[in-house]
This record gives sequence, structure tokens and C-alpha cells, in this order.
Amino acid sequence: MFSLYKKELRSYFFSPFAYVIAALFLLIFAIPFINGIANLSGTEYKFSFSNIFYNNFFYFIFLIPALTMRTFADERKSGTEVLLMTSPLNVFQIVAAKFLAVSTVFLMMIALTNFYPIITAMTGDVMISSLICGYTGFFLWGLVCISIGMLMSSFTESPIIAAILGEGAMIILLFIDNIKNSGLFQSLPKAAKIIGAFSTEERFENFSQGIMGLGDIIFFITATIMFLGFTIISIEKKRWSRG
Amino acid sequence: MIEIKNLTKYYGKNAAVRNITFSVLDNEILGFLGPNGAGKSTTMNIVTGYLPSTAGNVLIDGIDIAQEPSKAKRMIGYLPEIPPVYVDMKVKEYLLFCAGIKGIKRSERKAQVENAMDKLKVKDVENRLIRNLSKGYRQRVGFAQAILGDPKYLILDEPTVGLDPNQVIEVRNLIRSLKKDHTIILSSHILAEIQAVCERVVIISHGEVRAIDTIKNLEDSLGGALILLMKITGKKSDVTECIRNIDGVVNIIDASMEDEGVYTYKIEIKDDGVRKDIMTALVKNDFEIDEVSTEKPNLEEVFVKLTAQPPRKKGLKDLLDEYDDEAEASDEQNDGSKEDK
Ligand SMILES: Nc1ncnc2c1ncn2[C@@H]1O[C@H](COP(=O)(O)OP(=O)(O)O)[C@@H](O)[C@H]1O
Ligand SMILES: [Mg+2]
Repeated sequence: MFSLYKKELRSYFFSPFAYVIAALFLLIFAIPFINGIANLSGTEYKFSFSNIFYNNFFYFIFLIPALTMRTFADERKSGTEVLLMTSPLNVFQIVAAKFLAVSTVFLMMIALTNFYPIITAMTGDVMISSLICGYTGFFLWGLVCISIGMLMSSFTESPIIAAILGEGAMIILLFIDNIKNSGLFQSLPKAAKIIGAFSTEERFENFSQGIMGLGDIIFFITATIMFLGFTIISIEKKRWSRG
Repeated sequence: MIEIKNLTKYYGKNAAVRNITFSVLDNEILGFLGPNGAGKSTTMNIVTGYLPSTAGNVLIDGIDIAQEPSKAKRMIGYLPEIPPVYVDMKVKEYLLFCAGIKGIKRSERKAQVENAMDKLKVKDVENRLIRNLSKGYRQRVGFAQAILGDPKYLILDEPTVGLDPNQVIEVRNLIRSLKKDHTIILSSHILAEIQAVCERVVIISHGEVRAIDTIKNLEDSLGGALILLMKITGKKSDVTECIRNIDGVVNIIDASMEDEGVYTYKIEIKDDGVRKDIMTALVKNDFEIDEVSTEKPNLEEVFVKLTAQPPRKKGLKDLLDEYDDEAEASDEQNDGSKEDK
């Protein structure tokens, strides 16, 4: 399993692709940061990283499918799925290794953004606790998105379609609150409540405001495991229904 | 020993493989022969645990591949039809990765990879990206992957397709040399391929097993049978009818048109004596015999005969009747067009 993890990780670092995404990611991060500085009033030198986190993920989660689109679609397209599936590894191990590899890349990407708080810390104070909290939320959110992206990739043979499906899922995830609050569901409070249970945005907001709730952590982890579970099922099902 | 028992596989509503049963004995090279679309790849994908079967079992040394996949898969090296290579990896790096996922001990991986590269003669490209390799080399890299870890069973799906003749000979020699330490299933749609390296052959067509025997037995079973080639003038349906009613005629294999109303018939007969009977009968019925020659039947014909039948166990007679009906229909068409002129 470690071999597969290593190979996946390597495939990210040897493709220019991951670097482009990381660069985009840092750039997206920089904009609100610069804005934050620009908007500082003369007397109060204070701005919130939490806000930056919060603003960022709207852009950022659209980058995740680009990381996950190839995970299974590519294997199927190139015929290497056979190699993995006829090795002694089981589907759980294959999914886990791939998930860990993408998560590692993601973790490295957010580690790079530490660059901004560090610069800030050199000349001023950084609220460490809220920063850690924001990062944790960001990371957990990312894991959910990665597991969804991988599920989408397991549906198809084409990385492009996987990316499009992934983006679609991300949009749904982002706008789930808007859907809940829409006229249709306002008239169906029960349905609205059910949809609300899947709402991740509020939970992320908690993190970005420096509140680390156990319930929210469990929610994100459960969601991740659930989507990985679906991924395993999807792969097994493909195996049963066709080649 | 690999035991395949009553294996059936449906893709949706279509059966790709129907009730296949055969065994692979230790240290043999078993040929798995069938035309394209016969179900060879499907069977091999099931035997290696890539696809689940709809019904039936596959036992690898008594271990069911569906029950204990991880244990069974360790005993198998598989070269699928399309070599499962990552084009963005280098050859050696790819093989080390494969050794890793196959669960070969870390300390043995290097030696295993070197050994496989030596055997497949890919050492000279070990640091090249697979993307830049020719088809022949890719095939060999895929093959090298299959023998990593010295698995007891090697399952090779059409390993020589797309190779040039020299490479084909190399691969054949390699397979023969692997026989010492491995049990091999080799699939192909080319009889000569199987004849060259296998002692025993399973012939499959339309998802069903048509014959399981040694090559030698298949050849012997042809025994004294002869193929008679006769060029005869006369209406095809009448001629076939006349020939078929003669004792000792096994089968009319083919009838190809030479000219208007002149066909060359390929007739399988029990022994040379039947030839005279046929000629007498034809002359009696006023058909004109233009040419007669005989040839020994070969395995190719057996193969064609066994695999040309559609499924659903139609008798040969039904087949021939169908054949005649078609022929008559086209004859009538021809007559019609002549009258128009
Ligand atoms: N993934 C698939 N989905 C649907 N049908 C398939 C699939 N793979 C193969 N088949 C069908 O199953 C039959 C057997 O195919 P295959 O096992 O590839 O034959 P072979 O390897 O002998 O050429 C063919 O009729 C083919 O069209
Ligand atoms: Mg095939």
C-alpha cells in the first residue's frame, strides 16, 4: 500500500500540473491578504486571517477536482486498473492510498500558505489560536472535497468528465445553504432541515471564526469516510457490471 | 493447479462466457484458443480476479479467487491484452512499483526487478520513460511485470499481438523457457501460435468450450480423413444434396464459386474410397466434374470448423441447410437478373 501511496505522490510532483494548482492556490490566498493590508485604517493594524480563510475556500474548492480528477479515471483509461485490481491489494487499500496521497499534496499546499502569517508575524502579532483553528477547518473541509472528487473520478473513464462532475458537486456543496433558504424549501421546513444537515458551510464558518467544535470535526470526518466508502462501492460496482 | 468450474459471465444481458470448465495442470503451457470475441480475455480477467464471475468458481491451488482474493492473487502473474503500464514512469521505476504492490519483500525487490529485466531484455531501456517505448518494448515491460516475484501461474493474454515476427519468436522462446518454473495459460486467436508452444489446448468459441485436448490428439483424431476438392458444374443446392447423401461424406466444408454455376466444393471424407462413390453419383446425376484433388486436413480446418458454429448447439446438418437456403436465394436472384436482360 505504501508503494501505491508513494507512486501517487510522485505522480503529482512530477507533473507540472500540481505546481500550477499550488501557484494558483497561493495567488488566490494572496489577494484577500493584500486587500486586508490595503484596507487597514491608519490607527488599527488588525485584520483577520479567519476572514481570509473564509473568503478563500469559495475559490479554492474549485481547485480540488483538478487534483482528484485523475485518481481513478486515468487508471481505467490507460488499462492500469487491472494491475492494481489483480495485485494482492484490496479496493479499500487502493482507495486509502490514493486518498492519503492527495491529502498529503493538499496539506503541503496549505502549509505553503503559512508564508503569509509568518510574514505578518515578523512585523506584528498573529493570533495563533484562531489561525490554527482556521487551518484545521480548512484542512478538514479539503478532505471532504477530496473524497467527493475521488468519488466523481471513480464514475468515469475520462479525467475531464471527472473534473466537471467534481466541480458540479462542489457548486452543490457551496450553494446548499442557498437551496435550503430558497422559496421552495422554505415552504417545506422538514426537507429544508434535512438538506441543512448536509450543509458544510456553517460548520466551516465556525472554524474560521476560531470556534473548534467537536461536533463539527466529527461531521467533517464522517462525511469524508462516507464519500470514501461510496468510492469503494462505486469501484466494486463497476467491477460487477462491466469490465 | 487452476480449476475453472462452470464459469459464466454476463455483461448486462449478453453472455460473454457460458459454463466453461477446464483445469490447468502444473508445469504445462495450456493454449486458450478462440477467435476474437470468443471470451478469452473475459475468462482470463475472471481467473486473475479482476472481474467477478456471474456464476461458477475459479480455484487457484484450491483457493477460491473470489473468497480469498489476496492470497490467490499472490500466486498469479497477469499480462492483460493491453500492457498495464504507466506511460509517465520509467521502466525500472515502474517495475519497482509493481514489485511493491505485489507485496514482494523490500529486500528482494531490486533483485526481482533486475531478474525480470534480464529475462525480458529491457535492461537497456531501464531509465527511459515508458511513453517513449515502442509497442514491442511496452509489451515486454508488461510481461516483465507479470513475472515479478516468480508467481507459480502466469496468465498471458495474446502476448504476441502487434509484435513483429522476430519479436514473436523471441517471446515464444521466452514462454518455453518459463515453462520450467511456471504453469502458463496462453491465449491466442492464431492456431500456429498455440501449436508452437503448447501441448494442450482449450478451444473456445462464442463463450463456450468446443474442445479440450492435446494438440497431438487433435491431429490424430483427423486420422485417415481426407479433404476432397472438386470443381463441379451444376446447381449448387442439387450438387450438395447429391454429395451429402453418399455414405462416408463427413461434411461439406466450403463451396466457392468459380464461374456461373461452377463451384469448387471442399468435401471432408472418411477415406479415399469414398471419392469414387462421389464421382459415380455425380456422373449418374449428370453433373460435370472438371477437377478433382485431395489434401490432408490440418488443425487450422479443425479450428475453423469448431469455432465457426454459432452457439446454441445447432447440429451441422441444420447449419448446412441454412447455408443451402441462402445459396438458393442468391441463385434465384441471379436467374432473375438474367431474365431481365
Ligand atoms: N466490458 C464489456 N462490456 C460489454 N461487453 C463486453 C465487455 N468486454 C467484452 N465484452 C463482450 O464479451 C465478448 C467476449 O469478449 P472478450 O472476452 O474480450 O473476447 P476475446 O478476448 O476472446 O477476443 C465479446 O462479445 C465482447 O463484445
Ligand atoms: Mg481478448
